[in-house]
Amino acid sequence: MNLKEKLYLSDKGWNDLKKAIIACTLTNLAMLLPFGVTVMIFGELIRPLTGGELDTKKLWILWGVGLVGALLVFIAAKNDYRKTYIASYQESNATRLRIAEHLRKLPMSFFNTKDLSELTTNMMSDCSSMESMLSSTIPPLIANLITVTLTCIMLAFFDIRLALCLFCTVPLAFGVILLSRRKQKQLFETQNEARLEAGGQVQEYLEGMKIIKSCGLDGAHFKKLDNALQRLRKTSVKVEMGVGVFMSGASMILQAGMGITVFVGTMLLINGRIELLTLLMFLLMSTKIYGPFLAVLSQLSSLLNLSVVTSRMRTLLSTPAMGGEGEAASGCGISMKHVTFGYDNEDVIKDMSIDIPEGSVTALVGASGSGKSTVSKLLARFWDVNDGRISLGGKDIRTLSPDSVMKKMSFVFQDVTLFNDTVFNNIKIGSPTATDEQVYAAARAAYCDEFVSALPQGYDTVLGENGGTLSGGERQRISIARALLKNAPVIMLDEATASLDPENEVLIQKALARLVRGKTVIMIAHRLKTVVDSDNIIVLDDGKVREQGTHPQLMEKNGIYRKLFDIQQKSMGWGV
Amino acid sequence: MSKAKAPKPKTGLARCMELAQDRKGLVYFSAVLSSLAAVASFVPYIAVYLIVREIVSGYPKVNGAEIWGYAWLALIGIAANILLYFAAIFCSHIAAFGTLYELKLKFAQHITHIPLGYHLTIGSGRMRKIMDENIESVEGFIAHQFPDFVASVTAPAVMVILLLIADWKFGLCTVVGIILAFFVQFMGYGSKEMKDNMANYQTALEDMNNASVEYVRGMPVVKAFGQSAGSFEKFSKSVKAYTEWVLKFSLGWQNCMPAFTTIINNIYLLLVPFGIIRAMHTEDYRSFAMTFLFYLIFVPAAAGILNKIMYVSESFMQIDSNVARMDEILNIPVLPETERPVVPASNDVTFEDVSFSYNGDAENMAVIGVSFTAKAGTTTAIVGSSGSGKSTIANLISRFWDVTDGSVKIGGTDIRNISQQELTKRVSFVFQDIFLFKQSIFDNIRMGCPDATKEQVIAAAKAAQCHDFITKLPDGYDTVIGTKGVHLSGRERQRIAIARAIIKNSPIIVLDEATAFSDPENEYLIQKAFEKLMKDKTVIMIAHRLSTIKNADKIIVMDKGHKTEEGRHSELLAKGGRFAVLWADYTSSMDWKLGGKAVQA
Repeated sequence: MNLKEKLYLSDKGWNDLKKAIIACTLTNLAMLLPFGVTVMIFGELIRPLTGGELDTKKLWILWGVGLVGALLVFIAAKNDYRKTYIASYQESNATRLRIAEHLRKLPMSFFNTKDLSELTTNMMSDCSSMESMLSSTIPPLIANLITVTLTCIMLAFFDIRLALCLFCTVPLAFGVILLSRRKQKQLFETQNEARLEAGGQVQEYLEGMKIIKSCGLDGAHFKKLDNALQRLRKTSVKVEMGVGVFMSGASMILQAGMGITVFVGTMLLINGRIELLTLLMFLLMSTKIYGPFLAVLSQLSSLLNLSVVTSRMRTLLSTPAMGGEGEAASGCGISMKHVTFGYDNEDVIKDMSIDIPEGSVTALVGASGSGKSTVSKLLARFWDVNDGRISLGGKDIRTLSPDSVMKKMSFVFQDVTLFNDTVFNNIKIGSPTATDEQVYAAARAAYCDEFVSALPQGYDTVLGENGGTLSGGERQRISIARALLKNAPVIMLDEATASLDPENEVLIQKALARLVRGKTVIMIAHRLKTVVDSDNIIVLDDGKVREQGTHPQLMEKNGIYRKLFDIQQKSMGWGV
Repeated sequence: MSKAKAPKPKTGLARCMELAQDRKGLVYFSAVLSSLAAVASFVPYIAVYLIVREIVSGYPKVNGAEIWGYAWLALIGIAANILLYFAAIFCSHIAAFGTLYELKLKFAQHITHIPLGYHLTIGSGRMRKIMDENIESVEGFIAHQFPDFVASVTAPAVMVILLLIADWKFGLCTVVGIILAFFVQFMGYGSKEMKDNMANYQTALEDMNNASVEYVRGMPVVKAFGQSAGSFEKFSKSVKAYTEWVLKFSLGWQNCMPAFTTIINNIYLLLVPFGIIRAMHTEDYRSFAMTFLFYLIFVPAAAGILNKIMYVSESFMQIDSNVARMDEILNIPVLPETERPVVPASNDVTFEDVSFSYNGDAENMAVIGVSFTAKAGTTTAIVGSSGSGKSTIANLISRFWDVTDGSVKIGGTDIRNISQQELTKRVSFVFQDIFLFKQSIFDNIRMGCPDATKEQVIAAAKAAQCHDFITKLPDGYDTVIGTKGVHLSGRERQRIAIARAIIKNSPIIVLDEATAFSDPENEYLIQKAFEKLMKDKTVIMIAHRLSTIKNADKIIVMDKGHKTEEGRHSELLAKGGRFAVLWADYTSSMDWKLGGKAVQA
């Protein structure tokens, strides 16, 4: 894999990076100018000491050259500053938008993943770390590599023997680092393990706090946490020590080149086989040349592990977007034919066929894990089926654009997402083209009016992050108002209401009754009493349809439904 | 935060040192080592100078032995630099990891002693973030940034002194160069425009981060309503705004930064004209030339050191806010433990004129002047709409919070006078959200009573209706929660939690019955489990489904923090008050049906 792919760059980003590297290299080269001028001044200064004359004119000229050199350094540095920063910020701008654009096209199912918000936060921070890598890590580092190579070659022209002395330690130092990579990796792995273990203990400790306290277990669990943290501490010290030894060793080996140069250089000078000034130049160089190497050396492992940074981005961007271009037909009867589906390897829905005529009320009933919520998600194309087909108005939904399927449906689910925006805008999301009057009407019809007008700024009250201040029942009424405004022909309903207080419940039920009037309704039912009037009750068990029919038919059949219904009647009457 | 007479709380660096406590010595030692290392880094430059001097002074005769001596000096300097730095970093890491360990432990210990109510309001996610990120940053600070910082201050100081001692005139020239470099650098910081840009950039960054969270979180809804394009627009606007400001901010440095780089790499240019003039007038050219050479060799060393200062100073800002986040939690006072604990005489629970406010604000009382008694062995139900204060009452019994006014008593003793241990033993709280540890199911149940025998655990599991499904699991009771392939439904988890409470066998049970309607079979099993748990206990139950409490010994009706009614089901119905209204709503909601006529237009 090449660097471009490793960094997950766009073509423009790649070109910009190349330009940035060139700019950095130019800066590095410009920085050699002060060095060169210094060496030449050196030469002039020692001439009188070795029997020559002091040429002040030449010194002034060199000073002038030095000033020009400084100007060049400034120009080059400014150029590379602009190149690296502008390019990297533009690139991460593009990456952020690319990710956002891709997210928009992902199947709805993707957004049901648990760690989604974490993934996003990480991604944004990945973009930021990419940003800083592209601006201040990678270009200077690669430029360093280029410059030292050029310097090596240049020095070799002056004197190949001393150049060899100066650089003979480089391969050794890099060798040490590369050879120790496996050991380092091992160390990092043990540390990582210890870190995960400690993290897990911390999580258990915090999340289980209520239990820990109420069972008086703080001692025992504290001990476990203590052990895990203690272990982390020990391994961390070990890792730091190990890695430090290799790094220090390598940099000592590297800089030993300086000593070798002095020894060999002096020998050569004594034997008259080298110019004094050449030796002086090498001596000066020896104080400077290892800096860039050390920088590369210390960043080597992060450079080799670059792909880690981009792996989360890669995972996300490689999640396939959902296909389909067609427009939905006007009808909205739904049918499922021989559908099989599973999230992983295990099938959750097995060869299921269901028919939902337009304008009917269909209830899905069954124990948790029977597949009823999966069915509702498949019908709305949150996922695509593995086998069989689902059609909406006679067309296979895989051929329809996900947006056009969504246009046909409204959802009233238990968890309601509210935006950090006004109540008004939170309702209006149901239909952006709705007039203000229509929004208010929907709010009234969903019984939101009363509690909204009690809010400090009424409909203009900003709800705060995820509408924290509203109660569960109020949130649900807002979601019904949204659905009323959207006025889609198919309504999906998940009646799993966490017990609300009776007042709220009555209002929600009234609002729902308005919403479903004249619609095709698919409802995941928990309270069986709610569904006795449905046109069709589908009883699911283990991913298969076990029974279906109207309430009287199913009661008469005396099967699973009857049994569930009876148990529920009994438990409804339960009391203390 | 601000208490009247408390000493000013320490922040940032001072606070970090305070945190490092007994390791302070080690930290300072590492700073000394790191400074010495930085000073040792000058040695090769000096050695090279000495070599040059040796060669030039004897030229063309060269004294090899002398030069080799200096070569060794250079190598020793290099080795000393590396080894001292290694030792410095090693010391600082030992101190840092030790401090980190202690801080985390201290933090963990502290949060077990603060009122549990804080855990409910703060949330484990935020606590974890503080432990994982904020506290963690102290490590980096002590381990790397602090020693580097000290070195980056002492090294230039030593350098300047050396430069001034060797020849104060040249020395002064060099110092002027260094000052010039810093002047250019701080010109950037100082300007009003840059400060504004900085503020705008920070805000834009924050906006973008918030927008990204909202964008993803809202995506399902936005998609469901076919409005992802508009939402994308909104997000992309915030990204673009960020890019605009970050560029403006960065480009604000486009002259200062390169100028800084240029100056620190060209300080010799200040020396040269001065040197030439001096060279023309000097008596002793040899010694003058040597001094000049010394400066030409040594001054480039300044570049590396000055560069370092720039990087180190940035990290100081961040540590401040990280430590502050941690202190916010550490400053929560622990729940006061009584000096003379009393063992309550009975298991009656009494509220005497209890008032409570979550934020200590008299305007925002969650419970106001509530009194009632729940006799031992009876069941008391608390009903009311959301926000009426019924959950608060439950929280006060378990002393998640201490009351603002009045008192909560068990067996006639104020719970503040009962030891924490005794209270935990007496009161079991069955929560809505169930947490199971990543241990075997057996251990999870036994947590309620650590010395229970295997038989007792199984008996409790049977009573809680979980024995059947547990034995069907591949490893039965030894199945470890969270292992691959072990999936327990919410209802099954709840039953395990009930088994845990059953084995604990506390005489007082606080129950939050907020159960979502689940499938009928599970529902039935949970109810049976509850029955077993509640047998012969003092039960305080927060009821949602009113049918559940028809036979309760006492029903307390809450409304806006006040107790409005109290009595048995039949009495309250007959009274025709608030409870009667709730009951009517409840029965009508239970009879609600969807379908048939409801759907017809």
